[in-house]
Amino acid sequence: MSLRLLSVDPSDRGSQRCRLGPGLMSALGLSLGSPLLVSVPGGSCLCTAWPRPDLAEGFLLMDLKCSSPSLISHPPTHLNLDPGQLTPVPCPKLKAVKITVVVQSVDFKKHTPLRLVHELVKDMLKGVYVHEKNVINLEDFDTEIKYVVIESVNLDSASAGFITSKTGVEITGIQTVRHYMSQLQDQHTVPLGGLEEVSTSLREILQLPLLYPGTLSSLGVSCPRGVLLVGPPGVGKTLLVRRVVREVGASLVVVRGPEVVGSRPGESEEKLRAVFERARSAAEEGPCVLFLDELDSLCPKRTGSSAPENRLVAQLLTLMDGMNQSDRFLIVGATNRPDSLDPALRRPGRFDREVFIGAPTLQQRKAILSVLCARMPVCPSVDMAELAQRTTGYVGADLSALCREAAMQAIRENSKSLGEQALGMKHFQEALKAVRPSCLRSSLGRTELASMSWEQIGGLEEVKLKLRQSIEWPMLYPEAFVRLGLCRPRGVLLYGPPGCAKTTLVKAAASSSHCAFLSVGGADLYSPYVGDSEKAFAQLFRQARACAPCILFLDEIDSLIGSRSNSQTPNSVQTRLLSVLLNEMDGIGLKTLERRGTEKILQAEGVEENRKQETLDFQEVCNKDVMVVAATNRPDCLDNALLRPGRLDHIIYVPPPDQQARLCILKVCTESMPVGADVCLEELAAKTEFYSGADLENLCKEAALLALQEENMEASIIKHTYFLRALSKMSPSLTAQQIQTYQKPPR
Amino acid sequence: MSNPALISLHQALKKGFQSLENNQKVWTSVLADCSPLMVSLGNLAEQSRALSNVQISNTPLRDFPDLEERLRFKLLQATDTVLGKLNEKMSSLQSVRDSISNQVFAVFQHYEQNTDSLDLLTVTERSATAPSVSDMLEWLQDAERHYRQQFLRRKTLLQTLRADDFSLLELAPKRWKSWDSPSAEDHIKDTLCKVSFFIMSQ
Amino acid sequence: MEVTSANRKCPAVTGSSRKIKDNAADWHNLMLRWEKLNEDGFTAAENITAITLTRSQSNERLLLDDPPSPPSARSLQPPLSEQPGGAAELQEECCKLQDVVHKMVAVVTKMERLMTSQRGVQDLEEFHFGPEGRNVPLFYSWSTKHFNEACGFLLASFQQELRLKQMILQEVGHTATSDLCMVYLSCWLQQPFLPPQTRLTLEALLLETGDPQDTLEALLLETGHRPL
Repeated sequence: MSLRLLSVDPSDRGSQRCRLGPGLMSALGLSLGSPLLVSVPGGSCLCTAWPRPDLAEGFLLMDLKCSSPSLISHPPTHLNLDPGQLTPVPCPKLKAVKITVVVQSVDFKKHTPLRLVHELVKDMLKGVYVHEKNVINLEDFDTEIKYVVIESVNLDSASAGFITSKTGVEITGIQTVRHYMSQLQDQHTVPLGGLEEVSTSLREILQLPLLYPGTLSSLGVSCPRGVLLVGPPGVGKTLLVRRVVREVGASLVVVRGPEVVGSRPGESEEKLRAVFERARSAAEEGPCVLFLDELDSLCPKRTGSSAPENRLVAQLLTLMDGMNQSDRFLIVGATNRPDSLDPALRRPGRFDREVFIGAPTLQQRKAILSVLCARMPVCPSVDMAELAQRTTGYVGADLSALCREAAMQAIRENSKSLGEQALGMKHFQEALKAVRPSCLRSSLGRTELASMSWEQIGGLEEVKLKLRQSIEWPMLYPEAFVRLGLCRPRGVLLYGPPGCAKTTLVKAAASSSHCAFLSVGGADLYSPYVGDSEKAFAQLFRQARACAPCILFLDEIDSLIGSRSNSQTPNSVQTRLLSVLLNEMDGIGLKTLERRGTEKILQAEGVEENRKQETLDFQEVCNKDVMVVAATNRPDCLDNALLRPGRLDHIIYVPPPDQQARLCILKVCTESMPVGADVCLEELAAKTEFYSGADLENLCKEAALLALQEENMEASIIKHTYFLRALSKMSPSLTAQQIQTYQKPPR
Repeated sequence: MSNPALISLHQALKKGFQSLENNQKVWTSVLADCSPLMVSLGNLAEQSRALSNVQISNTPLRDFPDLEERLRFKLLQATDTVLGKLNEKMSSLQSVRDSISNQVFAVFQHYEQNTDSLDLLTVTERSATAPSVSDMLEWLQDAERHYRQQFLRRKTLLQTLRADDFSLLELAPKRWKSWDSPSAEDHIKDTLCKVSFFIMSQ
Repeated sequence: MEVTSANRKCPAVTGSSRKIKDNAADWHNLMLRWEKLNEDGFTAAENITAITLTRSQSNERLLLDDPPSPPSARSLQPPLSEQPGGAAELQEECCKLQDVVHKMVAVVTKMERLMTSQRGVQDLEEFHFGPEGRNVPLFYSWSTKHFNEACGFLLASFQQELRLKQMILQEVGHTATSDLCMVYLSCWLQQPFLPPQTRLTLEALLLETGDPQDTLEALLLETGHRPL
């Protein structure tokens, strides 16, 4: 027989009663009001047994007057209990108990004399059965005293007892509800993936002043007061702070920037002061962290004379300076736009330390994914390493969205068949299409990359090989490069006559190496405002770096970037863009803001480690850069500086197709066409000297159109004659002379 | 009804309910006396707050040099008087509460001492004239809990008032009133009705 | 119940002591009368502030088109008139208040006269017994000088309080801020210039001059003073 747990009757609230059937009561040997310990998942509850008014069996209604601490925040509901979970406990009268009182407000704690609290609590506890380490809920009294934690009862044998008016009550401490609850929550922590290093350093910063203030002061060092967390959105700054604060055991006061900003003059400052006051009072009970999320919205750079933000910034500065050594709380700020913060905030004494969190690297992504998937039913076949590779540029939030989406896919699929709900790789693949990395969001050159294979490009075997060497191999086999001391190319320039598949080649390279792909042309960057193009270009590089490994494709680079030698106007946009490009390509290093992970140094370890792991390490170390791939059909227009080694150092000529290549191209083009049996592609290939790949594609199209024109939409196959007629109408776009100019290398 | 333990327990219960009835009347009347006192407490707080809000030196009253001090003194004195009276009332409430508590604990103890001769069937048996022992014990406990809660709430409120916290003082009458729960009082009256036959029997 | 010389039990007292005893009784009666006037005046002043506040609020409401906010002074809620333009009513209440203050002036004038007669008694005593006064106290322990001081203290208190009341009379009708109105009302009711010592002085005066039993009865009758 099982007992259904129902919610307690309102009239029984605060009575510590537990209603059950009289039959069960007799079976357990209980009389009216006998103490009874009910064990439920997550804790237990001490009650007094009473029969239900209707004397029905099979139900259990209990008032959680005295229960385990965990049951306070998560009261048991909808449970079926076994009678074995009910145990009568002897509860002798207690001589004395030690308790901690939990009160609602700090004010009450501060202003109420202990004598009065003692008097009230003693009165409230009279007639209550208590169990050691349990919490007595006093909310039904509707006073500031909310809970009482039974620290110990003075009994040798039993851990439960009955409080009478003669029981001595000793108060060992008074806490506020907020503090007590935050301590309770310590038990459930959210795992954090990939942020171990940052969290260690942050923990250290927090732990020192909060937990060992004495040590610091004995060294004559003043505690740091503030930590600034910087990183792009979605990398987990907020989560990190919550987690670390919890680990350190401090209480947390969270302020999101916009929350404090009010419309009335002076309102924002007032709110800010109140927040600091709150932190200060929380700090009186134990270490405390004041977390200012979205700090940039709170404290933008001070401009002009009397903007309301200025006053707010000034107020924050004053408050931070006004913090005493004795104020045992720390300020953690988080922002994704550190440059828009007021510089006065970032000096030592205010935000002493700055911690950068970048977009996660490959390893970090793998860690994050394993954490995210730990609680999901994922097929063992799903390879986290591969998934991590595929998710360049994804931040923690993206990855969590990815997993959610994958789960949704699985649910959608399984909702029909009600099968087992395991996530397979195919679900993740679907999800990858739906969830795109947020650091590429709103980026200029973001392109939907249709998956393209090398086979879809006819001919050009030599070029393909070269491209693979310079793009695909370093990405996929970094260890070989390292072994041979090869450094990967920084940039690749494809040049050749127009229409010869330069762009298509790059696309194929990008899709085969699974990296992020950004593509820009001149039109994307031009802007009527001076300086705008350069800014956009630099921003593009920044984004590309954030999601490295990444291919940045500059199509028609000649139109985008001028040459300093033959430009008529030396200060045109093109020249300025050129300098940006040169700068970004061999700039001295990353900006601090863009730091990602910690520098890893490859070391040859004797132990044969997991092979795969090593590969990943190699990839992570070697692929931190952005590969610039440019294409042009006017190599002569390029600035020489661009072409020297270290910049666009691999220069690949994409020649017009020769006869063999043309045949391949034609084969690829006509693959989807119903070509007549009489069509001789070899003949066409021979006849199309100086035709580019694009021309050949066009030729096939023309032939097909011609067939439709001649045979009135009923055409089912394209005959050879149509090809020949189309050919006669067309002229090749290339000329011998033109090709001649490409023959000599551009340098 | 031949069980001697049950008969003596019934006697104890009767006594308990009679005492509850008497005490309930006293409680209600004492509580009624408190309301005007709470109202004046709130009014005095309001006056004190107004005095703090007004800069006397900017008003025509600036001609009276020590007016603010004197007025504040008078207000504090009046507040003190009211609080003193309220405390007197509280001690009457406490004695009512204590009397109820003791009576109920005594009845329950009486039951506990005789649990051997009172099995569950006996104590849950209801008749036309008498509710079951279980029900009656429960009602007594409920009433005791009600008065204890009521008393402690009001006591906490009065004890935590501070002369310098006007908002607390101003809110006090409202909170005081919010605890007047006619439904709970009615519930106790209902209970007394239910047991009236039982009390009158024999 | 008025304490007068008529219902005294010991008619034996004569001369200076008789005069002083009668004076003390008069003080008591005048103070009772003052309290009565104070209560009447308070009712009038409360009504006046209620009218002016509702008026200014309705004006504000017209100006700002804001929803009416409840006045912070709950006890000032208009007990009689809700309509804003209660000019006639206001006039009437002001007249009432003025009347009360006039009567208070009369009370204080009478007090001044009592003071004069008290001083006369002292002069007489000095004339009789020299500047030291008589050796044996008139009643239990007080010298005539002592009586004089007590009366002087009472008179000064009431004079100051009267000035305050006159000021309130002038201002209360013209004040629109609720806080200030509240302060005026509070001043009127709490009578800051009549500290507890005035009452103690009166009690001492009565105890000194009269039959203790008699005096206590008289005092007990008036202790139930009304809380605001």
